[in-house]
Amino acid sequence: MIQLQKISKHYPVGFGKNDILKDIDLTINEGEFVSIMGPSGSGKSTLLHIMGLLEEPSEGQYLFEGERVDKMNEKKRTQLHRGSIGFVFQAYHLIDELTVYENIETPLLYKNIPSSERKSRVADVLDRFNMVAKKDLFPSQLSGGQQQLVGIARAIIGEPRVILADEPTGNLHSDQAKIIMQLFKHLNEQDKITIIQVTHSDVNATYGNRVIQIRDGHIQP
Amino acid sequence: MLTSYLKIAWRNLRKQKVFATVNILGMSTALCVALLLSLTAYREWTYDNFHENGNQIYQLMTEEHGSFHTKKGTSMVEPLAATLKKEVPGVVRTTRIGEVNMPVRYGANHYYLEAQMVDADFLQMFTFPLVAGNKQDALQQLNQVIITQKTAASLFKQEEPVGKTIEVNLGGKWQPLIVSAVAANVPDNSGLQFDLLTRFENAPDYVEIKGKWDAASYPLFVQLDPAVTGALFERSVIPIVHKYYVEKLTDIKKDEGTLVIKTIGLKDTHLNPDSSYYSGLNQFYPWLMVILATMIIGIACINFINLSIARAFGRSSEIGLRKSLGAMDSQLMIQFWSEAFLLCFFSFLLSIVFTVLVLPYYNRVFGHDVALSLFHNPWLLLGALTAFLTITLLAGGYPAWKVARLNIVQVLKGKLGLSKSSTMRNGLIVVQFVVAIVLISCTTIIWQQLNFIQSASLGYNAIQVISIPIDNAPSNALAAMRNSLAQLPEVQSVTGSMLNLGLGKDGSSGNWTRGFDYKGRPVSTQNIIVDYDYAKTLDLKIVAGRDFSRNYGTDSTAVVINELMAKQLGEKDPIGVELMMNDKVPLHVIGVVKDYHFESLRKKIDPLVMTMKDASSLGYIFIKVQTNNPVNALKKIQQTWRRINPLAEHDASFLDENTQRMYRHEQRFSKIFMSGALLAIIISCMGLFAIAVLVMAHRQKEIGVRKVLGASVSGIVLLLSKDFLRLVLVAVVIASPVAWYFMHRWLQGFEFRVNIHWWVFVIAGVLAICIAFVTISLQSIKAALANPVNSLNRE
Repeated sequence: MIQLQKISKHYPVGFGKNDILKDIDLTINEGEFVSIMGPSGSGKSTLLHIMGLLEEPSEGQYLFEGERVDKMNEKKRTQLHRGSIGFVFQAYHLIDELTVYENIETPLLYKNIPSSERKSRVADVLDRFNMVAKKDLFPSQLSGGQQQLVGIARAIIGEPRVILADEPTGNLHSDQAKIIMQLFKHLNEQDKITIIQVTHSDVNATYGNRVIQIRDGHIQP
Repeated sequence: MLTSYLKIAWRNLRKQKVFATVNILGMSTALCVALLLSLTAYREWTYDNFHENGNQIYQLMTEEHGSFHTKKGTSMVEPLAATLKKEVPGVVRTTRIGEVNMPVRYGANHYYLEAQMVDADFLQMFTFPLVAGNKQDALQQLNQVIITQKTAASLFKQEEPVGKTIEVNLGGKWQPLIVSAVAANVPDNSGLQFDLLTRFENAPDYVEIKGKWDAASYPLFVQLDPAVTGALFERSVIPIVHKYYVEKLTDIKKDEGTLVIKTIGLKDTHLNPDSSYYSGLNQFYPWLMVILATMIIGIACINFINLSIARAFGRSSEIGLRKSLGAMDSQLMIQFWSEAFLLCFFSFLLSIVFTVLVLPYYNRVFGHDVALSLFHNPWLLLGALTAFLTITLLAGGYPAWKVARLNIVQVLKGKLGLSKSSTMRNGLIVVQFVVAIVLISCTTIIWQQLNFIQSASLGYNAIQVISIPIDNAPSNALAAMRNSLAQLPEVQSVTGSMLNLGLGKDGSSGNWTRGFDYKGRPVSTQNIIVDYDYAKTLDLKIVAGRDFSRNYGTDSTAVVINELMAKQLGEKDPIGVELMMNDKVPLHVIGVVKDYHFESLRKKIDPLVMTMKDASSLGYIFIKVQTNNPVNALKKIQQTWRRINPLAEHDASFLDENTQRMYRHEQRFSKIFMSGALLAIIISCMGLFAIAVLVMAHRQKEIGVRKVLGASVSGIVLLLSKDFLRLVLVAVVIASPVAWYFMHRWLQGFEFRVNIHWWVFVIAGVLAICIAFVTISLQSIKAALANPVNSLNRE
């Protein structure tokens, strides 16, 4: 599903350059639950951003479902963001001015889904996450774990094929983290959603079925 | 989708009250002011454009060029109208127009009505629709009169006006006129105003001017064939001038001069100083209003742009997130633009409320006559809407575009914040302050000039002298006044003059320039007709000879001249010199007075000749009073005058009031400028304040760290204010030459003017810096005093 071929990423620093990623070859198949691990600054977030089309690699090729990403125009990439890829962030990144309901609904607005269908889909997700009672609250009125639940709900509402999660439990304590990780496992097993998470936690990594260790921009064998 | 945007926008507004307030308040005030100013300008520009034949109607004027002078006039000779119609191809209709304040009597009631005495073509030329009667025969007879609906209501109340007989006073005799038609009320944007219309032949002096090619009397309008332009007409009228103005041309040719007839388009009469329907408004004035309106809107837009961008950076995570959720750049732009639109829309609604509330006050203070009913014109409405949309597009579009293009990853990582200084933002702040400082310094200079004019020595006693317009009073009124006033102890002397000094309550002014030969060379001078005691009443200083005196029987052929005239004559001792001013009787000089400003300070003093003639040539009575209670004296004199002339129309006034009134346009102009400057400063400061709030919020951590490291409060305030003050300083440097240039140009319009001092700009600059500093301090002191623990703990 995701194929990275000789991917490199570097930033110009002064007269030289700062290499973040070097010659990454990686293939992730549909239905996998992959954990990317590594120390701070090892390039794991950059790798995730590249997979999520938020950043472009300096060199190498990236094929998403067999299609070359660098050949895509903005419209096509946006289509992928709307339909195939869901994001979950460490800082949740909910929109403060919108209620829980409206936050979850937002991706559907960008997909131009009719109002009635939006309603039923948001209602389904709220129901599934046991958040119906909280649907009219604003993010600031929720605990961190609940906010992240909303973040995940928002990520899956567009029925993506893959969820990219950047330290989804980084700001949560262990009980909340456990709930979130079980949810990811459930989504992976029941809904067949490919999940790629960046994490520091060995415990979290155990929920996945594959661990990729990254260090100084290289994948450790 | 749009509802979602508007929902967010609305919640954002409620959350960030400072910005919402600054934006909405600033924008709505600016819109309100712009609306008022552009309505005023629009009104001035659309004067007289309701006439269907407007583009083919011209007022005629004569232009006389001599070797020393150019003389323009709109008074045309009586036979010209008929001659043009008969002999010049392309002239379709003509009308002479004489304006009189006509005493009217109906039953037991007396009225004073504004009458235009016109030719029969008038109704066909101008678009003044009749509500009763018909255009073809309403002015066929000399004894017919047309009245307006308003006049009909006040004269006849409920009665049917057509066919009624009213009596009017023509040249001292009451004559019956029959109402032949009723005209709709005259629109107030018409230069020609009237309560009644009657035939030109009813003019009081018609017998005297009839058939004479050398007695210029009343304005003349012609309507040309649509195929004939004004310029074409001016060429084809040349032979007429040569054929009929024989005597006049001989005179002019002595001075190697020329005489031409020129045209002024009807729609230009309002703003053309040469026209007799000139409003006194500088042509540049409406433009100035539009420029001022644009500047103020610009300042508000700059606030809007700066605040929107600054705020958008605060919302960067939302923007990044939306992008990762699949929002296109264009969708983000629409979102941010819709927020701007919402703000602008609120401002717009608010500005309309403001306008409605402020309008009566505005009209009163600035002497304008603007009404919102102007918006009945669909084009104006469309124009206003277009302007409004453009503003939202400008104010909201740029920030939206800028924000939508942010780099998504940096945004999500929260790396992108409000940078300490951005070129764009700083540039815009500088522009705002340039405008504000230009307005402040211009206001100061205008104020100085007005002050100078008002306190300048005019060379005559303006404080103690009361002037009364004689209007239509019988010619013995002056003598009667002299007798009555002799009993009042405070009256020192009484005299009469053809022309007022300054601008009296009747609002009329004029001059009479004459040219003649003196020792074989042409001289040109202004001429006024005065009465005995003129120099005494006005405290004019007699440099040589004497004033007119009843002790000499020969003073009817005597003249008093001013120093400049004496200089022009080139005589060492001008007393006794004979002047042949009208080729008939020689006039001899009996006295020379010191030059005085008998016209406005905009003009140089001209050579002047004072002559005496019969009392009917006098237009004003001047009375010098010596009293501790001038108000009371004025009242007493006013009462005396009312007794002598019950039909008196205009009140007496002191001459110093009159001279002030002469500069009322400048005063109005300076008031508008001053208000504009104040507003510009306030709006700029509101924007500066809001930006300061944002920047301080962003630098909270830095301030905390600095305080922990031992920085003092004053040091921090200075540090925070420095960046902004530098911008204001740059603005001062840019603004000063701009303001200097504009004011230099404006002052050219005055022959007597103040110098522009450098310290005006220093004061304006210091003022702007102080205001800016206070504005920023409100926020920076707060930031500096804050406990650093709070700001540092949050990270």
